[in-house]
Amino acid sequence: MNSFWNGKRRFVALLMFLSGVFVALRVPPVIPFIQLPGEKFPEGYNIPFLDIRWTNTMVGSLIVWIALLLFVVYVTRRRPKDGNEVPPGGFYNMFEMLFEGLMGFVGGIAGGRHFRLIFNMFMTIFLVVLLANWMELVPGVDTIGFIHPHVKEKYDVEKDEYKVITTDGYEIYQGFLGISYVNGQCDWISPADEAAADEAAQVAAAAAAKAAEMELSQDAAYARYKADHGEHGEGEGGEGSGDGHGDDSHGETAADSDAATAAREEVIAARLAEKQARADRGCYTGVNLAALDEDYEGGDKAEKKAIPLHPDPSSDEAKLVPWVVLPFVRVPSTDLNMTLSIALIAFVMIQYIGFKALGIGYLTKFFNFSTLFKSPLGGIDVAVGLLELIGDFAKILSFSFRLLGNIFAGSILLFVMSFLVPILPWPFFILEFFVGVIQALVFALLTAIFMNLATVSHHHDDDHDHAEAH
Amino acid sequence: MDPQSTIILGKAIGAGLAMIGAAGGGIGIGLAVGGAVQAMGRNPDHTPTIQTNMILGVAFAEAVAIYALVVSLIILFVLS
Repeated sequence: MNSFWNGKRRFVALLMFLSGVFVALRVPPVIPFIQLPGEKFPEGYNIPFLDIRWTNTMVGSLIVWIALLLFVVYVTRRRPKDGNEVPPGGFYNMFEMLFEGLMGFVGGIAGGRHFRLIFNMFMTIFLVVLLANWMELVPGVDTIGFIHPHVKEKYDVEKDEYKVITTDGYEIYQGFLGISYVNGQCDWISPADEAAADEAAQVAAAAAAKAAEMELSQDAAYARYKADHGEHGEGEGGEGSGDGHGDDSHGETAADSDAATAAREEVIAARLAEKQARADRGCYTGVNLAALDEDYEGGDKAEKKAIPLHPDPSSDEAKLVPWVVLPFVRVPSTDLNMTLSIALIAFVMIQYIGFKALGIGYLTKFFNFSTLFKSPLGGIDVAVGLLELIGDFAKILSFSFRLLGNIFAGSILLFVMSFLVPILPWPFFILEFFVGVIQALVFALLTAIFMNLATVSHHHDDDHDHAEAH
Repeated sequence: MDPQSTIILGKAIGAGLAMIGAAGGGIGIGLAVGGAVQAMGRNPDHTPTIQTNMILGVAFAEAVAIYALVVSLIILFVLS
């Protein structure tokens, strides 16, 4: 095996490189669509026995837990029996090395009476967070998924159904990078330009309406003049006010506003027809914004209509909606729910081990009134205790946001680099590999240190010193 | 300027301003690692202890930068 591959691996690497170049040229990379909360699966993909839809980060954390369980089962099965002289090898040996190394590491920090509990927490959190972080390196995670229209769901309480509105995130990202990924064959017109054209159409419509009105009033004056002088001439000036619409209502002196409305509508209809023509070619236009988004200012509101949440991709209405990928699996650490839940578990364990070690006296760490009237500086102890209470709750925040921020930023880095440099984003994968390890280690290590801190009581030590001094 | 562009402009400027906070985290990490490396060089026997404390300090300093990052991410992707 080895002899066969010697000296040939470089060609395999070259082949992969060339295929990457070919793929990148043939299929332009897709603009990343970035969303902070975990994405919900389409309707019908509920968690069994619960009325909750899956999110892709939930699937990711499920995979992490299953992998961890399999790992534990494997390692406990492979553990050599007592008296077995055959040394274990391979994966089991690697795990033992890791385990022993970390055991010594934690022993140096928290090697006291509660080492067992602290190490269990440390190892559990370390393995869970490590596996969760490393999921972003797995091909297919974050990239393979449902293709679905990029719309926001809004629950309509009165009608008991989900309504669909477009989101503006699409416009912004398209505007920034200026490339359409909905349909590569279309000239991209940014939504801002669309909106500007809409506004121009509105202005033109208003101008046309005003011109029609003016013309009418002129016509009315002319008609009066003609009536006064008993002249019935050829009329029909044919001057063409913008779109020449004023001609239709020539001579109808009563229907001022009707003619103005008609003139306005004609200009708007021309604009809508222009948009519709682009939509018919399968290109993205502002039409759907006007049709779907109630808050959309430009365009014609009358065009509003319902588009189903998951339209048939071959249907006409599907062309009006931008499409994005909803990945099946997303890195669980990029969801605040996951990091926050682990942070809460760590927080609860810190308090638990504090009570276990110090009993009810643990509370004097936070509410320290014993020295308030005894010493002149007793008030400081109270303030310190309250600060420590606040600091304890701030731990939840910093735990959860540190992990979320690091891994989410790492995922975005990988997306953007894969988009900009689709061929070789490898340095960033290596970087993220180390970031994953370090963040897992930091999370677990901080938990261990805080747990260890909770078991020692500075308060009592001070009292003893005090007593001895007297 | 139409409202859409104004929103994009505001978001981009706000996110950029929020990320100024990351400079503090960077300075802090630099100081911590610099000090730790000096200490390790003078006193190689205590490397494991120093390393642990360095990682802790770096994590705390980084947390501040991460808060700034989260704020700017929220400005960019959550605000609408």
